[in-house]
Amino acid sequence: MTKELIKGNEAVVKAAILAGCRSFYGYPITPASEITEAAARYFPLAGGTFLQAESEIASINMVYGAAAAGERTMTASSGPGISLMQEGISYLAGSELPCVIVDITRGGPGLGNIAPEQSDYHQVVKGGGHGNYRTIVLAPNSVQEMCDLTFLAFDLADKYRNPAIVMTDGFIGQMMEPVEFPTTSVEAPARPWAVLGNAETRNNLITSIYMSPDELEAHQRHLEAKYARANRGEELFEAYRTDDAEVITIGYGIVSRILKTAVDQAREMGIKAGLFRPITLWPFPDRQIDIIADWTKSFMVVELSNGQMVDDVRLAVNGRRPVNFYSRGGGNVPTVDELLGQLIKVSEDSYVRENISESEELFWGV
Amino acid sequence: MSHSGFNDSAEKDHMSEIAHTTDGANGEGQTAVKLTRKDFQTDQEVRWCPGCGDYSILAQVQKVMPELGIPRENIVFISGIGCSSRFPYYMNTYGFHTIHGRAPAFATGVKLANPKLQVWVITGDGDALSIGGNHFIHALRRNIDLKIILFNNRIYGLTKGQYSPTSELGKKNKSAPMGTIDYPINPLSMAFAAEATFVARSMDIDPKHLSTMIERLAHHKGSGFLEVYQNCNIFNDGTFKSFNEREVRDDRMIYLENGKPLLFGKNKDKGIHIDKVKPEIVAIGENGVTIDDILVHDENALEPNLSYILGRMQFPEYPVPMGVFRAVHKPTYEQMLHGQVSKSISISGAGDIEKLINAGETWEIN
Repeated sequence: MTKELIKGNEAVVKAAILAGCRSFYGYPITPASEITEAAARYFPLAGGTFLQAESEIASINMVYGAAAAGERTMTASSGPGISLMQEGISYLAGSELPCVIVDITRGGPGLGNIAPEQSDYHQVVKGGGHGNYRTIVLAPNSVQEMCDLTFLAFDLADKYRNPAIVMTDGFIGQMMEPVEFPTTSVEAPARPWAVLGNAETRNNLITSIYMSPDELEAHQRHLEAKYARANRGEELFEAYRTDDAEVITIGYGIVSRILKTAVDQAREMGIKAGLFRPITLWPFPDRQIDIIADWTKSFMVVELSNGQMVDDVRLAVNGRRPVNFYSRGGGNVPTVDELLGQLIKVSEDSYVRENISESEELFWGV
Repeated sequence: MSHSGFNDSAEKDHMSEIAHTTDGANGEGQTAVKLTRKDFQTDQEVRWCPGCGDYSILAQVQKVMPELGIPRENIVFISGIGCSSRFPYYMNTYGFHTIHGRAPAFATGVKLANPKLQVWVITGDGDALSIGGNHFIHALRRNIDLKIILFNNRIYGLTKGQYSPTSELGKKNKSAPMGTIDYPINPLSMAFAAEATFVARSMDIDPKHLSTMIERLAHHKGSGFLEVYQNCNIFNDGTFKSFNEREVRDDRMIYLENGKPLLFGKNKDKGIHIDKVKPEIVAIGENGVTIDDILVHDENALEPNLSYILGRMQFPEYPVPMGVFRAVHKPTYEQMLHGQVSKSISISGAGDIEKLINAGETWEIN
């Protein structure tokens, strides 16, 4: 087992090449620029294309073209750049084209800052572009997962002919950790639907325009059926010490790692705490949350945002248990002590309240 | 206002117009104010790297501003994203730090909302020419009274050293480890193509010339563009030094002076001769060449063809021109806009919103 000490942003690029990706179109932005720089170094070595575009709008449209031409292709950016790509993402989804987009989230809204946040959840998971579509969203919490989930993202993108987004906070993009890369690379699967410039694919049509209402509705139904398949089978999550937990914390990305330590320390204090970590943010593992809601007394969601994923948790819990929320923003990250303190509060509160169904939800934050 | 050429006397008239504060951009009805360079400095910590060429540009702008006699509250500095775009923080005027590439569009909104403001746009080679290329062209084309200064350092400095649209072909950098294969764009050529009515170039290490160019730009009515060669001593040090260092400057650069022959060299014994459309360097006194063979610079020529040719002269084939390439007067967008407003009022009478809203086909239901 050989491991390489590598930055999250660089691991993404190596994984993409091993996954058979042969083109990268991107534009520098902090804290994702190392992805573009690593792509400039590695893609030519793999016989692939690297192009620094004139903007994120250009990047996503180059990806649109490369995907239509049948290539495994990708781009990477951070919040403001992802916002610019939303038009293209909608067209890619509407045209059923696979591609991988990496979002190393920074602080917002507007110019915000370059420090890590998780405030892109809404624009990435709920779809910041127009129309009825979904994107597959994977949320790594380690550099190893930056590799593994990038690899998986290419497969899911092809399986569902849909954009897949690897979204993480600036911490995971910027940190260095040991990574075990796959020892062999794979080739991109055949894409008989693409326009390959040969006789067989001459009649293939890649489009998102359906002028007749009936045709467009039929296309939307087709997409919905596809999303429904992904929604029942592709969910990924990590459940840690949840089997007997009375307080279950929920967080993804860097937050899940801090929560894990807080859960261990709470257990040492006799608090039955657990951690549930969604790895896919869409499809969201709502059925699994529904199941653990059977036995836990309350939930505590922690995000580096003003409360975006917490909405999905509340939908999954459906009012059966209190869903508490704690957040930090602006690039601040909670300490273990800070989260442990919140955990203690939540556990005491849920013990006090015998009749959970009548209790109000607790909200607090920065 | 006619499309007549812009000559020295017209310029003087225009300057005196500003000095007497009858001009809109000078603050309606206000008398000239006596300000000093200090009045335009702020208490903000300047966050450019030590040794950056941006300091020189800031110093010259702060030197020129008091001479314009415009109250600070009638001046706005608008920037996009990049190192240069930190400029508004350091000017004690109104300022906006806006979106990457969008400053010209933002500035258009500001100028049309309040035409009495003097509106400056501070941008860089990345901001104006990559993502902002579109907005840059259209702001110039409309001849809105914007004063655009482009800090050209031929690199992306803020994201730490990727190539920009003006980086030289073959230049090695973080996103082009083997050297860039993107052909650079000439900002002046773009400005001429977009029909900018004022086009000039200067450089950070010639403060005297730079302040003159800033002053000329300030007095121009209409879309003005000043490119400043600016050294990035961290990520692209010395990119202009082959021709702009003091020891070689006389032979490798040429200062444009309106109505004067294009002469250069220590003894001003070399000049630019145009044979058909290709400029050539000739030596006075050799091969029968006299001063009469030297092209006389005419910045007021209505057709920008000769200026375009001069703007494309590059070292080492030619001396690099500095100065005003083009200065012509055309009605500005805001003048024509307000002209149309006045005209429609003179035809239809003063507006009555209620009357307008009820002017369609209406009927009563009894």
